[in-house]
Parts: sequence; structure tokens; C-alpha cells
Amino acid sequence: MADTPKQIFIKGIWKDNPVFRQVLGICSSLAVTNLLTNTLFMAFGVMFVTAFSNFTVSLLRDHIPARIRMIVQVLIIASYVMIVDILIKAVNPDIHRFIGPYVGLIITNCIIMGRAEAFASQNTPWLSFLDGLAMGIGYSLVLIVIALVREPMGFGTLLGFPLPGREIWWHQWTIMVMAPGAFFMLAIVTWISRKIQLNLEKGGK
Amino acid sequence: MDKKSPSYILIFIVLISFVFGLAISSVHYLTLPMLEKNEALHKNRIISQAFMLDVEKDTPEAYEDAIRQFIKIDSIEIKREKVEFFRHREKDYIGFIFKGLGFWEPISGIIVMDRDLEKIINLKILEQKETPGLGARIEEPWFTEQFQQLAIKWNDNQKIIIGATSNPDKSNVVETITGASQTSDALMNMLNENLAEFKKNYKDK
Repeated sequence: MADTPKQIFIKGIWKDNPVFRQVLGICSSLAVTNLLTNTLFMAFGVMFVTAFSNFTVSLLRDHIPARIRMIVQVLIIASYVMIVDILIKAVNPDIHRFIGPYVGLIITNCIIMGRAEAFASQNTPWLSFLDGLAMGIGYSLVLIVIALVREPMGFGTLLGFPLPGREIWWHQWTIMVMAPGAFFMLAIVTWISRKIQLNLEKGGK
Repeated sequence: MDKKSPSYILIFIVLISFVFGLAISSVHYLTLPMLEKNEALHKNRIISQAFMLDVEKDTPEAYEDAIRQFIKIDSIEIKREKVEFFRHREKDYIGFIFKGLGFWEPISGIIVMDRDLEKIINLKILEQKETPGLGARIEEPWFTEQFQQLAIKWNDNQKIIIGATSNPDKSNVVETITGASQTSDALMNMLNENLAEFKKNYKDK
């Protein structure tokens, strides 16, 4: 039986979270999380692309020839990524200059291709849209949690605004601005969430 | 029509390419005024920074006013192409837009020199799409600030040097970016070529 919308959201955000459960989309998780604003734009991009590419693949699933389905999926995903890229460039060019290369790389984000192949090609457009959205939200929440630690520790700001009284108490953790800080944070988030998941599973038995 | 037949596959791929191509073109067309405005703002901001102009606000109008007040814009031929040539109305600064091929894609920027062409006053990158975290660091202040007050050795093929040199006179040497030697070399070569061409044609100005 197909999943209900509630089950889809629980899976995308928690049970099958693309980042800490499926370990997908790691490149951008590491790259854009040193500033929360960049993270939010990237999160918007991935949510938009996963939701709409899932929807479109599902809508066309009965018409796409099996032999070229991967090519068609890449074409659909790439088109949505280009639309997101143009929109971010138009709305906020400064952020686009920083995250632009990673927005292009959304095309190769395994979350999107994986969901198009595993879910959208076998389910209805509405459920596929929700699945894409849920996976996008799951990805975004992990990135936001990482950014909420990295930006204050690395820059002493949050969304670009200085932390209150930072001259008195704040000391820069340069490592949080750099890639190793992202690795540490990602590992910590994965560890904590997996630990909670395992405890819940044990408690459920 | 049989979904496996070559004619179906061909028609399907042409149709879907057309539909998505049209969608991307439409989004680009609709956002074109915003993209052009953003591009003009970015260019004016970089020109203002390169000439170290005092701009009161970070608005398109403020940058336009500052440039109109302090900078005279002309053109000069470099590599058989007309590029913008700038003169500071009050200080003895001149500058031009340099262009060349980076490691991945074209790089362009503004180089500002004293009127005698003996030293560089400032250098700013306008556009680049080098590897994020490596070559893309050419636009970071720690790198571009090294060009301030840098001597230009006109008698040498390497008028400026980015990276290691056996020459003990280091007045024209800039530190390279670790892990981005291809981008550094590309930038060095394009600067040296553009400077040589500029000097040839600057005599007539």
C-alpha cells in the first residue's frame, strides 16, 4: 500500500532522512553551511527541484520510454536547476556569486535522482511531489542545524547580524568557517540523530 | 505508438527538450531586467572598489553617482577588442578591464595603475567561475590586496609574477593560491598579456 502524506513526511524528514540516514547530498552540505543565509537559499533550491522534478517525472511516468528514462530524468532535473539558478541570480546576485557553483551541482545531487527513480516513477504526481518536498525539507533541516552552529562560532553572526555583546564573550573558531568544521558538525549531527533513532527503535520493540 | 520504437523515443525527447527549453527561456526572459540591473550594480561596485571611491550607500544610485563624479570612461583596444578604459578625474589613477581564459572559464577584472604605469594601485575581479574554495579565491581580499603598490616590470616578459620566482627582487611578486596553481598561472599570463597590449595602445591616449 502506498504511503500516506504523513508517512512520507516522517520518512523524508526523519526515518529516511537523505543526509544523516542515506548519506546523500554531502558535498553541498559541507560547502554552503558556514553562513545561514547561503544555506537557506540552497535549501530552497533543493526543495524546489526535488519537489517539482518528482512531480514531473511522476506525471510523465507512463509516457517515458524505459530505455531513456534516466536521460529524461536528468533533463527534467537540470531544467529545474537552471530555473532555480536564474531565480537566485535575479533575486540575490551576491549570494549567487557564492553558492552559484553548488546550485549547478544540484543536478548531480543523488537525493533528487534517487527519489525520481525510486519513488516518482512508481507513484502518483501528488504523492511524488510531497515525497520530493519532504526529502528537501529533511535535507534542509540538517543543513540549517549545521549552519546554526557554524555561522555563530565561525563568524560571530547569525543571518549576517552580529551576536549580542560578542565583543565581550565571543572568540572565533576559524575551523568552523572551513571545510573541516563542516565535517565535524555533519558527523556530530549524524551521530546524535542515529543514536536517537536506534533508541527509539529499541524502545519500540 | 509503441513506446519502444525509435520514432516514439525521438519524438518524445524532442518534445520534452522543447517544452523545458521554452520554460527556461521564459524564466530567463522574464528576469532579464533584474539580471541586467544586478550586473550593472556589480560592475559599478567593483569599479568603485578598484578606484577606492567613497560611496555613501550600497545602492545602485550611489555607485552610479560616485562613478559619474569621479571616473571618466573611455575605451581602448586590447587583443583586437575594445575594452573599457577608466581615468580618475581627481587622482592620477587609470584603469582598464582585463580579460582572459581561466582554468575553467573566462576571467575578467579591473586593474588600476598610476598614470606613469609604474605600479598597480588596485586589482579587483569582475567575473570568474573557477573552482570554489581553490581558484575562486582569486577574488578574496587577502589575494587581491597583494597587488596594491605592486611594481610593474615593463622590461621583463613577466611584468608581474604570481607564485615562486628565483628573482631576488620581489617587488613584482604576488603569493599564489595553494592548490590553485592553474588558476594563478592563467591569471598571471592574462595580466601580463593585457598589460603589454594596454601599454602599446595607451601611448595614443
